Amino acid sequence: MNEKRTSNLPYDGGDAREADLWAALGELPLEEPGDHVRHRFFRELHRGKRAPFGERLRGWFGFSGNLGWVTACACLVVGVLAGRTIDGGPDDTARLDALESNIAMLNRSLVLDRLNNAEPGKRLQGVFDAAYLVQDDPQITEALLARAAGDRVTSIRSAAIEALAPQLSSPAVSRQLMTLLGEAESPLVQLALVDLVLRHGSPEQVEQMRDRVQALQLYPDLERYIDKSLGREST
Amino acid sequence: MKSMQAVTDEQLIRWVADGDASCLATLFERHHQGIYRFCLQMTRHRAQSEDLVQDVFMKVLQKAGSYRGDGSFKAWLYNVARNVTLDHLRRNRHALAAFDADAVDAEPVDTRSAEQAASGRQLAGHVAQALARLPEAAREVIWLGRFEFDSYEDLAAALGCKPGAARVRMHRAMQLLASEVGAIEGVTTA
Repeated sequence: MNEKRTSNLPYDGGDAREADLWAALGELPLEEPGDHVRHRFFRELHRGKRAPFGERLRGWFGFSGNLGWVTACACLVVGVLAGRTIDGGPDDTARLDALESNIAMLNRSLVLDRLNNAEPGKRLQGVFDAAYLVQDDPQITEALLARAAGDRVTSIRSAAIEALAPQLSSPAVSRQLMTLLGEAESPLVQLALVDLVLRHGSPEQVEQMRDRVQALQLYPDLERYIDKSLGREST
Repeated sequence: MKSMQAVTDEQLIRWVADGDASCLATLFERHHQGIYRFCLQMTRHRAQSEDLVQDVFMKVLQKAGSYRGDGSFKAWLYNVARNVTLDHLRRNRHALAAFDADAVDAEPVDTRSAEQAASGRQLAGHVAQALARLPEAAREVIWLGRFEFDSYEDLAAALGCKPGAARVRMHRAMQLLASEVGAIEGVTTA
């Protein structure tokens, strides 16, 4: 199939004959590449995205960046100190508590760093890790809300919403998630929000969400999904 | 529902550089046809042009971090495509010459029918033939200027030269094209 597409570049350097040729160039047929070019590209892109095994292994342990190395070294030092402490005095529980607290702090810093990493894979890993810390940590909760509201990768937004489940009983978090329902353009994100409230929300929150979905005139399928989940589907 | 605002090429390539290779798929969808046509014009060979399209976008994936954002992404992309294609032509010059001499699968790009040519579009047919005879340097500047870029600044960035030099190169290439078309018309009328 041929498609005419020419630029608006002015050709002003020649005589009338060259101007005619410039116009005639616009009449040349333009070929389309076959669909197999697209398929092949996506295959190659998928292969190209897979990092070598060693790199993936380092990534799983969070060692790929400088901060990862620093964290790993700090954990090692803390571990050695913990070992010495345990050897040195069986009754020294206060020092053990302090070391545990240090490890927790390092872990928390690592999770926050991952949540703000430029690489989507790291951010997703950060979201999974944060799900275990979100209960007791307002800063982690804020970082997850930021991912849920503004990450450019839809799957990360959905994962962040799911990770906020333990905080749904908090009025502040609940209010922000309801606001997000109106602002989220992606139907996948809207579905993740609806699903979260259906599975973890109180009956009041479910009703509030249903009213909001109706008021905002979101996808009709969402409303049907809520009704179906609540066993109110009309026949 | 609010409509999704289109993300610019420049933003997408920054995300690719940040490690989100999936954004390259959008750039591929936007530009692979133009890149294919440019490669086809340069190599005159469909299968090789399809291979080159893959090479160009894989090169973009590798070099995304080197895009500095001081010009349009499209100009940078065509500069990559130009380098990949010229490398390919340099490496395979002898093989290509032998291949063209055999005229196997090296069909001319102009696929118009005899009826179309006869119905007042003869000049375009001659232009297509003449373009195929031009040196690569002339062919690339004419093709990119006529079909891909709207300004000499972008054309120059794609060619890796200054806008003034791009303008001069275009002028010379068009003179060469006029000369080749004249030769073809002379043969046709004789």
